[in-house]
Amino acid sequence: MTTTATPPPRTARATATPPEQRKRGQRGGPAYIFLTPWILGVVLLTLAPMAVSLYLSFTDYNLFDPPKWVGLRNYSDMFTADPRYWRSVGTTLLYVVVAVPLKLAIALGVALLLSNTRKAKGFYRSAFYAPSLLGASMAVALVWRALYNDGGTVDELLSSIGIHTGGWVSDPHLAVFVVALLSAWQFGAPMVIFLAGLQQIPADLYEAAALDGAGRWRRFVSVTLPMLSPVVFFNLVLETIQSFQVFTPAFAISGGNGGPADSTEFYTLYLYERGFTASHMGYASAMAWVLLLAIGAVTLVLFRTSRSWVFYANEGA
Amino acid sequence: MTPPSFRRRAVLGAAAGALVAPLLAGCSDGDGASTAAGGKVTLTFAWWGNDDRAQRTNAAVALFEKRHPNITVRTSFAGYPAYVQKLATQAAGGDLPDVAQLDYRQISQYAGSGTLLDLGPYVKNGTLQTADFDKSLTRTGVYDGKQYALPMGKGTTGIVYDATVFKKAGVATPQPGWTWDDWAEAGKKISALGMKGPNGHTYTGLSDLGVNEDAFETWLRSRGKELYASEHRLGFTTDDLTDFWTFTDRLRRAGVVSQARDTAQIGGAVEDTPMGRGIAATDFNWDAPFLGYPPLLGDQVHFAPVPTTDGKVGQYFKPTMLIGAGAGTQHPKEAAELIDFLLNDAAAGKILGVTRSTPPNEKIAESIGKTLTGPEKEVYDYGRTIAAHGTGAPPMAPPRGDVVLQVSFQRDYQRVSYGMESPRGAAEEYVAEAKRELR
Repeated sequence: MTTTATPPPRTARATATPPEQRKRGQRGGPAYIFLTPWILGVVLLTLAPMAVSLYLSFTDYNLFDPPKWVGLRNYSDMFTADPRYWRSVGTTLLYVVVAVPLKLAIALGVALLLSNTRKAKGFYRSAFYAPSLLGASMAVALVWRALYNDGGTVDELLSSIGIHTGGWVSDPHLAVFVVALLSAWQFGAPMVIFLAGLQQIPADLYEAAALDGAGRWRRFVSVTLPMLSPVVFFNLVLETIQSFQVFTPAFAISGGNGGPADSTEFYTLYLYERGFTASHMGYASAMAWVLLLAIGAVTLVLFRTSRSWVFYANEGA
Repeated sequence: MTPPSFRRRAVLGAAAGALVAPLLAGCSDGDGASTAAGGKVTLTFAWWGNDDRAQRTNAAVALFEKRHPNITVRTSFAGYPAYVQKLATQAAGGDLPDVAQLDYRQISQYAGSGTLLDLGPYVKNGTLQTADFDKSLTRTGVYDGKQYALPMGKGTTGIVYDATVFKKAGVATPQPGWTWDDWAEAGKKISALGMKGPNGHTYTGLSDLGVNEDAFETWLRSRGKELYASEHRLGFTTDDLTDFWTFTDRLRRAGVVSQARDTAQIGGAVEDTPMGRGIAATDFNWDAPFLGYPPLLGDQVHFAPVPTTDGKVGQYFKPTMLIGAGAGTQHPKEAAELIDFLLNDAAAGKILGVTRSTPPNEKIAESIGKTLTGPEKEVYDYGRTIAAHGTGAPPMAPPRGDVVLQVSFQRDYQRVSYGMESPRGAAEEYVAEAKRELR
C-alpha cells in the first residue's frame, strides 16, 4: 500500500548530498531565525506548559495560592479514594468501545457506496462530508441535545410509534449513546480516507476474484478488507485517540456537568471540572498525565495487534 | 563569510525579529479590562440573577451613570452556576471585574487569596456608608479583620407553594412551626390528586430536596447540627446524611417528590425547577428567587416558612449576596462610589426593590417596605415574620471547599434518585470527598 510504503529515493538522495551543500546547510543561521516563531510556539505553548503541568501534578494548587508540594497524593487519591474518577474512566471506555467501531463502520459503509457512484459523485461526497466540517462545534452539540431532549424531535418521533423514552439526554443509561451518535454522524474524515484507500485497490484483484466465482460479500471480505486494512488501522488509531479526548459534545449535551447522574462524565470532562470548577489544578494535571500515558499504552497495544491483522501489499505474501 | 551575505542575513534577521516582536508585545498588554481615556472612566460590573434582576440592576446603573457623567459601567450577568465558574477563572487570572456580586461561599476563598480589594479605607473616608446597616450583617463581609465585601441583601429560605393546589388537596396553609412530617404529608395529599403537568408529566406535591445542600442544612439545623463544625471539619456524620437522603428517597419512590429526570434538570434558574416547569406544587428556595415564581405560575403562589423538626427552626438569615471590588481595579474610588450608590442611594433602592431580598440599609428597607406590592411585599413581610418568630444564630461563613461540595451534593444525590446508588453509599462518598476537600 502506498500510504505506508517508505519511498526509497529520498534516503538515497540524502546520502548523496554533495559535501559543499551539506556545509552550507550546517550553518543554518537564517533558518533558525525563520524558525524562531515556531520554536517559540513549541517551547512556550507546548513544552513549557507540559513541564509545568507535570510539576503541578505533584502539588495542591488551587490557582489562588502558590502550589503546595504533596508528592504522590493526587495520584493515590485518584486511584484509591475517588469513585467518581473510576466512573469517568468506565464511561470513557464505554464510549470509545461504542463510538469508534460505529463511526468506522458507517464511514466504511458510506465510502463503499460512494466509491461506485457514477452520477453526482462530487455532490454526494460533499454532502456526506459536510457534518464533519461542522466538527466538534458547540452549536451542533446543542442542536443534538435539543433533538434528543425530553419533547425533542427524536423523542416525538419515537412517541408517535408508541415508544416513550422521555428524552435520551435525561436518561443516564442512554445519554452516553447520544454523544456516541453525534460522533458517528461526523464520519466524514475517516470516510474520505477510506475512499482514497478504496481507489488504490487494483481492479484486477476483483476481476480475478470474480472469475474464481467470488460473490460480492466474498470479494469484500477477501479482497477489500485485507487490501484496506492499513487504512482501517490508521483510522482506528486516530479515532481511538480522539475518542479518549472527547470533550465538547459531552460538555454541551450534559449542560456542562456530565449529567444526568454522571453518565456523560467523560475523563476530560471530569478533568476540566476538577481543574476549572473545583480549582484543583494539581489533581487535574495528574489526571492529564495519566490520560496521556493511558492513550499511549492503548496506541501501543493497537500497534502490537496490528501485526496479526494489517496486511501491507508491498511486504508481499 | 562575505559582507553582502552578512548584510542580507542581518536584514532577514531583523525581518524575523519584527515578525516576533508583536507577539511578545501582545503578552504584556493584557490588562485592558478597564481603561481611562480622556478623563473617562470605565468600570466593569458583574452579577448573577434572572432577567428581572438584570433589568432593575441595569436601570440603577443607568441612573448612576447619569449622576457621574465621567463614568461608564459595562455590566454583565449570568445564571448562578455559570457565573460562579466564570468568576473563579477570572479571579485566578487576577482579572476580577471592578465590581462583582459575590456569594457568601466565595468570600473566604477570594479574600484569603488577595483577589478582593480591601474596602476598609473607603468606609473610613466616607465614600462607602454603612451607618444604616445591621452590624452583624456588615460583619459577614469581613475576612481576617478587613472589610472585603458588603452585603447586598438580607435573606432567608422558605417553601414556595401553590395555594390553589393546596386548597384543592385539602392541605392547610403552612404556618410557622409546621414540621418536615407535615411537609411530606402535604406532598402525599397533593400527589394523590393525580394531576398532570405539561407534556403529560406527573404532577407531584413536592420538589425533591435531596439535591439541595441548603435544604439539607436547614433540615440539619432543625435537628441541632451544623453543616460545618470548623474550617476543616463537617458538622454532621454519614448517618445524618443517610437519614436525610433516605427520607427524600422514600418520598421519591412513593411518587411524592419530583422524579429523577425532572430533579436532574434543576440548575440555577427558577424556570428549570419542577415547580417552575409546572410539575410540582412546592419548592424550597431563598426569598429573593421567590419573586421568579409568580410571573411563571400566577399570583396564587406564596411563600411559607421552612418546616421545623418538632418546632425547632433550622432556617436563618444570611447575606443573600455580597458586593466587592477586584483587587486589581484601576479605579478603586469609582468602584467604591458605585457600590455605595447601589447600597445607599434612595432612588437606586427604589429601583432595585427586593430583587436581592431585603436591602441591608435599614432606612431604605423601611421606606421601600411601604411602597411594595404583590410578591415583593410578601417577601418583605415574610422577612419580618420570620425575624419575629426567631431563628437560630447564623452559622460560620462556609469554608473554602463549600463551593465544590455544594455541586457534589447535588451530583451524589442524583445517583440516588436514578436508583444507581443507595442513600448510604452516596452519603459515604460525599463525606469522604468532604474530608479531602476540607483538609
